[in-house]
Amino acid sequence: MTSRPLIAEVFMRWLYPVLLMLSFWVLMRGHNAPGGGFIAGLLAVAASSAYALVFSSSEALRRLPLGPVRLAGCGVLLSLISGLPAILQNLPFLTHLWVTLSFGFFQMPLSTVMLFDLGVYLSVWGAIGGYCLILVQAIEEEV
Amino acid sequence: MASIPGLLFALLLCALFFSPLPWKFSLPWVPSLAIDFAVYVDGLSAQFLVLITGIGTLVFVYGAGYLSGHPKSNRVFTLLALFMAAMIGAVVSDNLMVLFVFWELTSILSFLLVGFDHERESSRKSAQQAIMITGVGGLFLLAGLILLGQIAETYSIQLLLERAPLFLSDRRLNTALGLIMVGAFTKSAQFPFHFWLPNAMAAPTPVSAYLHSATMVKLGIYLLARLDAAFSDLLFWEYTLIGGGTITAVFAALQTVYERDLKRILAWSTVATLGTLVMLVGLPGHGAALATSALFFAHALYKAPLFFVAGNLDHGAGTREIDNLTGMRHYMPWTAAAAMLAALSMAGLPLTFGFVAKDAITFAKTQADVLHLVSYATVFVSGLSVAVAAIAAIHIFWGKDTVPRKAHPHEAKASMLMPPLVLASLGLLFGFFPTLIDPLLGASARSISPGFDASKVNAAYDIMPVLEVTLGTISFGILVYLRWDWLHAVLDRIRHFETIGPEACYRRVLDALPRLAARQTRLLQHGLLPRYLLSMVAVVTILTIIMLIGDSPVWNWPEVKTLTIPVLGASTLIVVGGLATLYVYDHLVLLLVSGLVGYGSAILFLFTGAPDLAFTQFVVETVFVVVVATVLVRLRRLSPEKINAPKEPRLRPLSLAVAIAFGTTLAMLVLLVSALPFDSMLTDFYAEKSLPMAHGRNVVNLILVDFRALDTLGEISVLMFALLAALPLLKLVKDKHR
Repeated sequence: MTSRPLIAEVFMRWLYPVLLMLSFWVLMRGHNAPGGGFIAGLLAVAASSAYALVFSSSEALRRLPLGPVRLAGCGVLLSLISGLPAILQNLPFLTHLWVTLSFGFFQMPLSTVMLFDLGVYLSVWGAIGGYCLILVQAIEEEV
Repeated sequence: MASIPGLLFALLLCALFFSPLPWKFSLPWVPSLAIDFAVYVDGLSAQFLVLITGIGTLVFVYGAGYLSGHPKSNRVFTLLALFMAAMIGAVVSDNLMVLFVFWELTSILSFLLVGFDHERESSRKSAQQAIMITGVGGLFLLAGLILLGQIAETYSIQLLLERAPLFLSDRRLNTALGLIMVGAFTKSAQFPFHFWLPNAMAAPTPVSAYLHSATMVKLGIYLLARLDAAFSDLLFWEYTLIGGGTITAVFAALQTVYERDLKRILAWSTVATLGTLVMLVGLPGHGAALATSALFFAHALYKAPLFFVAGNLDHGAGTREIDNLTGMRHYMPWTAAAAMLAALSMAGLPLTFGFVAKDAITFAKTQADVLHLVSYATVFVSGLSVAVAAIAAIHIFWGKDTVPRKAHPHEAKASMLMPPLVLASLGLLFGFFPTLIDPLLGASARSISPGFDASKVNAAYDIMPVLEVTLGTISFGILVYLRWDWLHAVLDRIRHFETIGPEACYRRVLDALPRLAARQTRLLQHGLLPRYLLSMVAVVTILTIIMLIGDSPVWNWPEVKTLTIPVLGASTLIVVGGLATLYVYDHLVLLLVSGLVGYGSAILFLFTGAPDLAFTQFVVETVFVVVVATVLVRLRRLSPEKINAPKEPRLRPLSLAVAIAFGTTLAMLVLLVSALPFDSMLTDFYAEKSLPMAHGRNVVNLILVDFRALDTLGEISVLMFALLAALPLLKLVKDKHR
C-alpha cells in the first residue's frame, strides 16, 4: 500500500487496548449479566482484526500474546485445569468450587469457574483470531 | 523378559490354590452409563488366566531366543506384554462394555503384531485383513452387546445370566445374539470369516503361537461359552453354533491338505479346532461343557509347542515347506522330541491329554442328541488332525533325508527348546494324571453349564464308544497321512472354490472400494463452490421434508401478536437485506448487504429476550464482514480480471428450484415449531437452579461454563484443533503465492 491511513493508525493505537479492556470487562461480568468468555473472546478477535485492517495482519499476529497456537492451547489447558480441583475433592470433573477471600471489610468471591471462562476466552481469541489473521496474512504478504 | 508373566502365573496359581473362586471386585467407571469396572473371576476366567499367563511366560522365553539380535525385538515384547494385559482384562471383566473395550484392544494389538514386518507387502495385507475382519466383527459385537444390555437392563454379565429366564422370550433377543455371534465368529475365525487367521501367520512365530492359536482367537469362544449358561436352551443359539462350528471344522480340516507350509497347516488345523470348540459350546449338556474346557487346555498344550517347532525349523533349516523338510531328527533331535510329544497329544493317542479331550468330546456327543452328520464331521476332523500331527512329527523328522540343502540345518537354542518341551510334557503328564487338572476343568465347566456335576458325568461314562471312535479316527488319520501327497494333488486340481469363496469376495470388495470412492469423489467433489452450496442446501431440504412428512404434523397458524417498533424495524432490515442481495453482483457489496441480515437478526434477538445471542451475533457479524472484506479486497488486487469480471445475470433454474424449496421448507418448519406450545421445563430448571447451584444470574453463560462445562471444553478443544488443522493449509496458500 502506498498511502497509509494516518488518522486510522493513530486512532487504532488507542482503540486496540480499549477494545481489549472492554472484552476483559465483558468476560468478568459474564457471570451475572450478558457477556462471558465466548463473547469476550469474539470481541478480542474483533479488536485483532480491526488492528489488522489498519496496520497489517502480521502486526496484529505479533500482538497476540504467545502467538495464536500457544494462546489457544493455553486456553484449553486452563479450562482443563479448572476441572481438576473437583477431582481432588472426590467430586465429578469440572464441578466448580467457590471460595470467598475476605480482606476485612471487602469480600471477594473466587471460583474455578473464572479460570474456566478465562480459558474459553483465550482459546476463542487464539483459535478464531489466529485463523482469521493467518488467512489474511497468507494473501497479504504477496501484495 | 519373561519374569513379569512368570511372576503373574505363579501368583495366579497360588491364589487359585488358596482362595476359593469366584473372586469379585468392582470400581465405578462411567456411573452415568451404568458401566462399572467390575471383575468377576470364576472357573472359566481362571482357566483362561492360567492359559494366558502360563503360555505367555513360555512365549516370552521362546521369543527371547527367537528374536535375539532382531532390531525390533523390543517392540514385539512391548506389544506382547500389552496384549497379555488386554487379554487378562477381557477375561476377568464382568461388564459387557469393559469386555468389549479389551476385546478391541486385542484386535488392535494383533494388527500391530501381524504387521510387525511392515516392510513386506504380504505382511501389511495380512495385518489389514485381520483388523478389517475382526474390526467389522467388533462393530457387530458392539451393536449386539448394547441390544442385549437393553433387553436385560444391565451390562453386568453375572446379573444378565441371573435374569436370563425373564427375557428369553423377548423378540429382540435373536437379533442381539445373532450380532454377538457375528462378532465372536470373526474373532474366532469361523466360516465364512475364517481366512484372516491363516494369513495372520505372517506374524513372528511366538506371536502366532500366542495370539493366533492359544489365546486371542479363543476370546470369541470365551464370550460364547460365557453366555451359553443363559441361552443354551434357545434353538437359534444352539443350531447356529453347532452348524457354524461344524462347517468351519470340516472346511478347515480339508484346507490343511491344500497347504505345504507347516505354519499354515497348523493354522488351518487351529481353525478346525476352533470350529470344534464352537460346536461344543452349542451342544447341550454337562458333558459338552467339560469337553469344551478340556479341549481349550489340550489344544493350547499341543498346538503352541507345534508352532514353536515350526519356528525352530524356520530358524534352523531356513524353511517351513514340508517338501523341503525330511529327516530333520539328525540335525534337530530336541525339536524332534518336542514335536513327537506334542503330536502324540494332538493325535489323541491314549495316555495323553489330547485323548482325555477327545474322550470328553465323544462322550458329550453320546450324551447330547446330535445329528449323525455332526458326529461324522467330528470324526473326520479328528482324523485329519491325526494326519497333521503325523506330518509335523513323522514326515518332517523321521522321513528319509533326501532333500539337497545348501546350508547345514542346526538345532535351536535352549531358550527355544525349553518352552515346547515343557508344554508337550505337560500334555503327557495331565494325560497320565488327569486328576491334577480336574478341579480347574470342573470349575470351568461349572461356569459354562451351571449345575455341572463331575461325578454324574463320570458315572454315565462308557468306554466302548470312545475306544471305537479313537480307533476309527487314528486309522483314518494314518490313511490320510499315507496318501497326503496324492490327496494334495487331487484337491489342487479342484481348487476352484478359491475364486468364489469368502476370501475372494473379501478381496473383490476391497478392490471395488477405491474404485467406488473414486467415482463418488469425482461426482461430488468437483471443487466448484456454488455447486457444493447447491447440493448441501438440496440435501438439507430433502432431509427436512422427510422429517416433516414423517412427523405427520398438525398445521395451525400461530396467533399474531402486535409487533413492537424495534421488532418491526429489525424485520424490515432483514427483508431489505435479503431482497437486496438479489440485485447486487459485486462481491464486496454483496457481503455488506448480507451483513444487514445478520445485524437485523441481532437486533431481533436483542428485543426478544436473548441479549447474549444478540451480542454474539453482532460481534460475529462484524468480524466476519471485516475478515472477508479484507480477503476480498486483496483477492481483487491479486487477479482483477477474474474477480472483477462482470457477472452475467442469468436465470439458473435448478438453483431457483432449490432455493424456493429450501425457503418454503424452512418457513413451514418455523410455522410448525411456533404452533407447538412452548415447553418451559428446561428454562424453569435453569432459572431456578442457576443461583443456588452455580452462584450466578446469567443463565446462558452458566450453561456454557458450569452446567455443560464438559461440552464447552470439547468445543474449545475442537476450535484449537481446527486451527492446528488449518495452519498447514494456510501455509500452503502462502507458499503458493510466493
